[in-house]
Amino acid sequence: MTEPLPLEITHVHKKFKTGFLSLRTAVAVTDLSLQLHTNEIVGLLGPNGAGKTTTLKMVTGLIFPSSGQVRLYDQPVDRRAARARMGFLPENPYFYDYLTAEEFLQMACGLADMPLAGRGVRVTEMLKKLGIHHARALPMRKFSKGMLQRAGLAAALIHDPDLVILDEPLSGLDPIGRRDFREIILDLKRAGKTVLFSSHILPDVEDLCDRVAIIVKGRLREEGSLADLLEHGTRNTDIEVHCPHGQGEVLAREFPSLDRAETLSGFRLGVPVGTGLQGVLRRLLELDFEIQSVRPHRISLEDLFVAHAQAAGPREEPGSPEGPSPGSRSGGEEVAP
Amino acid sequence: MMRPVLAVVLNTYREVVRNKILYAILFYAVLLVLTGHFFADVSLNQERRILFDVGLGLISLFAVVLCLFAGTSIIYKEIEKKTIFLIVPRAISRGQFLLGKWGGLFLAMAVIITAMFLILLLQVWFLKLHPEVALLKGVLLVYLEVALLIAVALFFSSFSSPVITGMLTIGFFVIGRLLPDLKQILFTKYQADAFRTVAEELLQVLPHFYLYVPSGHDFNGHTLSLTTDFVTWAYVGWAFLYTLLMCALILIIAAGVFRRRDLA
Repeated sequence: MTEPLPLEITHVHKKFKTGFLSLRTAVAVTDLSLQLHTNEIVGLLGPNGAGKTTTLKMVTGLIFPSSGQVRLYDQPVDRRAARARMGFLPENPYFYDYLTAEEFLQMACGLADMPLAGRGVRVTEMLKKLGIHHARALPMRKFSKGMLQRAGLAAALIHDPDLVILDEPLSGLDPIGRRDFREIILDLKRAGKTVLFSSHILPDVEDLCDRVAIIVKGRLREEGSLADLLEHGTRNTDIEVHCPHGQGEVLAREFPSLDRAETLSGFRLGVPVGTGLQGVLRRLLELDFEIQSVRPHRISLEDLFVAHAQAAGPREEPGSPEGPSPGSRSGGEEVAP
Repeated sequence: MMRPVLAVVLNTYREVVRNKILYAILFYAVLLVLTGHFFADVSLNQERRILFDVGLGLISLFAVVLCLFAGTSIIYKEIEKKTIFLIVPRAISRGQFLLGKWGGLFLAMAVIITAMFLILLLQVWFLKLHPEVALLKGVLLVYLEVALLIAVALFFSSFSSPVITGMLTIGFFVIGRLLPDLKQILFTKYQADAFRTVAEELLQVLPHFYLYVPSGHDFNGHTLSLTTDFVTWAYVGWAFLYTLLMCALILIIAAGVFRRRDLA
């Protein structure tokens, strides 16, 4: 018998009632489908207000889809048994100020239905792993943002979940914290776990993810392995030429179809693959331009991300970093009631 | 299955007792001592009755006020401060979460009521007065009253803001205390028609808070008093059963309402 998928999102829509008497509707997520397979790390990308956090809230059972289904290990997300196999770190986690880190993790053990015996050992282990053991007896209101993030991750992982959902786990961390978190995420993969995390720190996503899903304005724009997504991207060859004053017009006349961008000392010409790179170089030399560099340009995740964001139209007013919420229009297309 | 509930109980208890709410006990002690001294001078050998009545009355008053203070914002704060994001995604149902909140708040209130009751007994001992078992029955009724009041507050806070919750809870509490009078008014002012029938049925399903402050006469015509003739143990037992059933019913309805609420 095959293991059920850790996460299956099927044609999910989410609308929020907004405005006076809740007569208006803000669409936060539209027809989103996504599957996570066992032992992969998937990055959920999107600009602010794209619907990432709304999606993760539906995945964790905090809010409910207006239509469509979210299933964890082949069970609806509102089943306790389904959520028992999941660990969740919310964005900018909030804590009970009056608890110490140790008490908080003890509570997390209880919420995860862990037996009393062995809780203490597990709590100590996680406090040490996350580097906050020294502050275990300190009330959490005295924690720095990075320490809170570490405590949140410790709570998410305390019951050794099979599926880990992390909402912007690397934001607000210093470089050492980011390195530690990256290492922990990779450890989870080595241990056979499945990880879904949202981020807009693209280098981290490129470093960690097997697959990415790009959401813009509540719609899934692209999804696949990084290698596949970047392979599909067009490739240019960038030629940087030194260009004395007034010679820019010559370039414009000679190469009207090429992308031109002005640099400090001249211009950068973008020559698409298969459009006669050698001919362009030869002509530049004939015209006596000094060629400074010739570099193949492979599309990056950032290029892909920006391209999707731009293709979706002008950016709306950014709302809360958590994306659209009742009373907020950010990230959602406003539709008539 | 109960471990997640117990985790919420313990956390809610900690939240309440680590708040400034425990100062209420100190305030109660001061008030009680002052009351004892004041009425000892002016009550012409009635200080025992007055101390019992005032002592227990203050326990009930403090418990109700603290309950309203802590209970009306207990769910709202979890959502507003987003601490609920750390709880709901776990192996706990929303109904269990509400049960845990009810249990934690009741535990905290029970500790506070017990502390106040011990202070009352100390005062009784200090003034060399003879304690009555009626005091114990009276304080047990306060525990039950608080249990029901917390359930009502939790029900309203499962779908409304603290202000609305506070107003509705106080409204239900006052109506519940005045139910016999309201029934009497209904009986004397209106004829037996459909309106009266509906109104009577409606009053019947509202929480009967008057049960916890027995006064006047019982069904046998005995005057109820903490010093002479108070309610029977059977009365306390029935009140316990009523409270248990009502709390269960209210929490089940609250869980049904809270189950589909978006916690955005």
